[in-house]
Amino acid sequence: MTSQYNFKKIVIVPTAKDFIDIVLSKTQRKTPTVVHKQYKISRIRQFYMRKVKFSQQTFHDKLSTILTDFPKLDDIHPFYADLMNVLYDKDHYKLALGQINIALHLIDNVSKDYVRLLKYGDSLYRCKQLKKAALGRMATIMKRQAQSLQYLEQVRQHLSRLPSIDPNTRTLLICGFPNVGKSSFINKITRADVEVQPYAFTTKSLFVGHTDHRYLRWQVVDTPGILDHPLENRNTIEMQAIAALAHLRAAILYVMDISEQCGHTIEQQVALFESIKPLFANKPLLVVLNKTDVIRLEELKPEQKTLIQGFIDDDIPVMEMSTLSEEGVMNVKTEACERLLAHRIEVKIKSKKVEGILNRLHVAVPKPRDGEVELEDDYSLDLKKNYDLPADFKYDVIPEFWEGKNIADYIDPDIMAKLEELEREEELRIESGVYDKEEEELDEEEKEIHRLAGKIREKKAIIAIESRIGRSGGAPVMPRAGRKRERSVSRLRTEFEELGVDMSNKGGAHFSRTKSRSASRPPIKKARSDSTGRVSSSSRVTPRDQSGIRNVELKAKAKKMGHKAQGKMNQFGKAGEADRHIAVKMPRHLYSGKRGIGKTDRR
Amino acid sequence: MAVRVQFENNNEVGVFAKLTNVYCLVAIGGSENFYSVFESELSDTIPVIHTSVAGCRIIGRLTVANRHGLLLPNSTTDQELQHIRNSLPDSVKIQRVEERLSALGNVIACNDYVALVHPDLDKETEEVLADTLNVEVFRHTIAGSVLTGSYCAFSNQGGIVHPKTTVADQDELSSLLQVPLVAGTVNRGSDVIGAGLVVNDWSAFCGFDTTATEISVIENVFRLNEANQPSVITTDMRESLIETLT
Repeated sequence: MTSQYNFKKIVIVPTAKDFIDIVLSKTQRKTPTVVHKQYKISRIRQFYMRKVKFSQQTFHDKLSTILTDFPKLDDIHPFYADLMNVLYDKDHYKLALGQINIALHLIDNVSKDYVRLLKYGDSLYRCKQLKKAALGRMATIMKRQAQSLQYLEQVRQHLSRLPSIDPNTRTLLICGFPNVGKSSFINKITRADVEVQPYAFTTKSLFVGHTDHRYLRWQVVDTPGILDHPLENRNTIEMQAIAALAHLRAAILYVMDISEQCGHTIEQQVALFESIKPLFANKPLLVVLNKTDVIRLEELKPEQKTLIQGFIDDDIPVMEMSTLSEEGVMNVKTEACERLLAHRIEVKIKSKKVEGILNRLHVAVPKPRDGEVELEDDYSLDLKKNYDLPADFKYDVIPEFWEGKNIADYIDPDIMAKLEELEREEELRIESGVYDKEEEELDEEEKEIHRLAGKIREKKAIIAIESRIGRSGGAPVMPRAGRKRERSVSRLRTEFEELGVDMSNKGGAHFSRTKSRSASRPPIKKARSDSTGRVSSSSRVTPRDQSGIRNVELKAKAKKMGHKAQGKMNQFGKAGEADRHIAVKMPRHLYSGKRGIGKTDRR
Repeated sequence: MAVRVQFENNNEVGVFAKLTNVYCLVAIGGSENFYSVFESELSDTIPVIHTSVAGCRIIGRLTVANRHGLLLPNSTTDQELQHIRNSLPDSVKIQRVEERLSALGNVIACNDYVALVHPDLDKETEEVLADTLNVEVFRHTIAGSVLTGSYCAFSNQGGIVHPKTTVADQDELSSLLQVPLVAGTVNRGSDVIGAGLVVNDWSAFCGFDTTATEISVIENVFRLNEANQPSVITTDMRESLIETLT
């Protein structure tokens, strides 16, 4: 995650002198340099116009990058806007950027004017003078911006050294009188390594460090000490702290020195707290009593205790710590983080954002699946529990088999009646003589059919066996189209007759060949063709396989020879003359010489 | 414990490794670092085996595995199959399956008891899956996506699913799988859980970019420490989660 407030990427702002040098030398390098007076005048004008326009464009580009690179005070986070106001003076900053903007427009106008004048230049000399004047005026305009450019360069350098504070993230903000132990505290909980010295205003600007708590990253901001005097009397160093207090939505740790070693009494420190209290509104606040290794809260004088008691009465938590003995330091950090987290969550819960992630705050706990038997010690699936029976019958044990008989078979209450009915029916059937009839004799015709059918089955079996024997040799099976004609009407007829089928009168059974159904008849008029068999209307270009061949016989012979010659090659998959072939991989004449990899002039 | 690891500067560790309760497969890469991390964590208890599948390093996406068996795609070569067979304990059944959706790891997610599979998986594959891995098979989608193997990771202890899975879906899946589930991410917000995380009942490996919050969700839902319970996610971690996600 990179902060959007990264001012380290602003391009260097050159001084006015450098600026002019850069642009003019670029113009010299990037535009044509040779022109002669005998050239056409339009060409000469064009040559100089190009130079003027080019330098104008370069000035324009460079100035507009300055304008876009520098942050606009109205667009950035109020914390940064305020901090920049404190550090660089808002008016001065805006004025400088405004000047640059004006210079940009002036240069554009100068260029426009001179390009217009150049259109009327009637000689090389005049054109050249006009160009010179244009570039001179542009340079003069830039020279006047020397102050602004210098100021902006300083601002740039300072901005790039500002700590990258993300105004929107979780932040702990440490504030208090100078020398009460703010920097010591940040050094204890982060790795910021802020300078700590035993005199006031050691910390002269904001410092940032990072610490971890509850899997999250926390930003800790150390501010310079603040003295208790009216806002308008505060100096730049204090104002930075005020800007941070005013605009960062952070947990405030107001650090107090109860040993009074910092040179300010507890009373003064409480007074300062009261005077900057408006800045703490709507923020989690913690009063931290530092240097308890020197004196503890209980050991304070009663009137001092009452001052501290005032905080507790106002519902402001008071915590003790000692950055020297590290006693209570982690408690303070944890407490501050927890309070800020709770505060931020409270705000966020109210917003709509949380609804989108509610599913991620849910742990789905498995419910037992339907019908699954719980296999724990004291539970088994009770199927009989819900029987629709009187309670004392529910758990009766009924055997499945009894004396070798399935008792379910005897469950029908009127089974005997049904059996009797069946027996009676059977008796009736016997009486009426259903079972008396003998099997009928087959007549002569049916006998004949049976005999034929037997013959057909036998023949079929023989055919099947024969074909199986024939196939088992592994010889390739030719498609019927390629084989000698083996099915014919006459053969069919003889085979059928062999089988004993009467084939004498089968005229209507399509045994004879039918007439062709093809709609296309041979053309009535024959196309004229020449001696080689070619149709006279076709193209006269000799096909390649026939060129240089005297007649049809030779053609056939040539074709046969070609075919034969191809045979061996195809059979063994050999390379032909048309295949790509490299005879010698590294011919000596290309690879011998003084150089290890070949001669100098060969690649 | 969940360990952060990278495969040759790539955070998708689930692509290059397959972890079960009785063995671990690791891709053959240019650097042994990835393998070393697995070996140092696991080699006391289970074999960690170098292998490729069909000559590819993306073994995690091509295979499905649990403690009972290992399914390999049809493109696995005979040598690879032989190598894996020789390396794994005999109790593990190994089976090659002919399946149109050959990236089995993307379409099947499983633990030792159940498997969630792509709705279009072959009937035959489903049977082989049930027989080889001894699992009950459910055809299901996760957050509307059919790639069940890519968008979730679960062990016998718990599971993480795609961050956009609705609460109702989570409850349903949890009842199917009989493990606690949570919707989450790995690798600083990546939703391809299966690719960013490999896990078994006592260890987990995730990509290098995984944040502290993500790691702690993983440790809690998979119960990787004694103290970890899935319910912690809704109680102690709630604030941190809201804070990081909004």
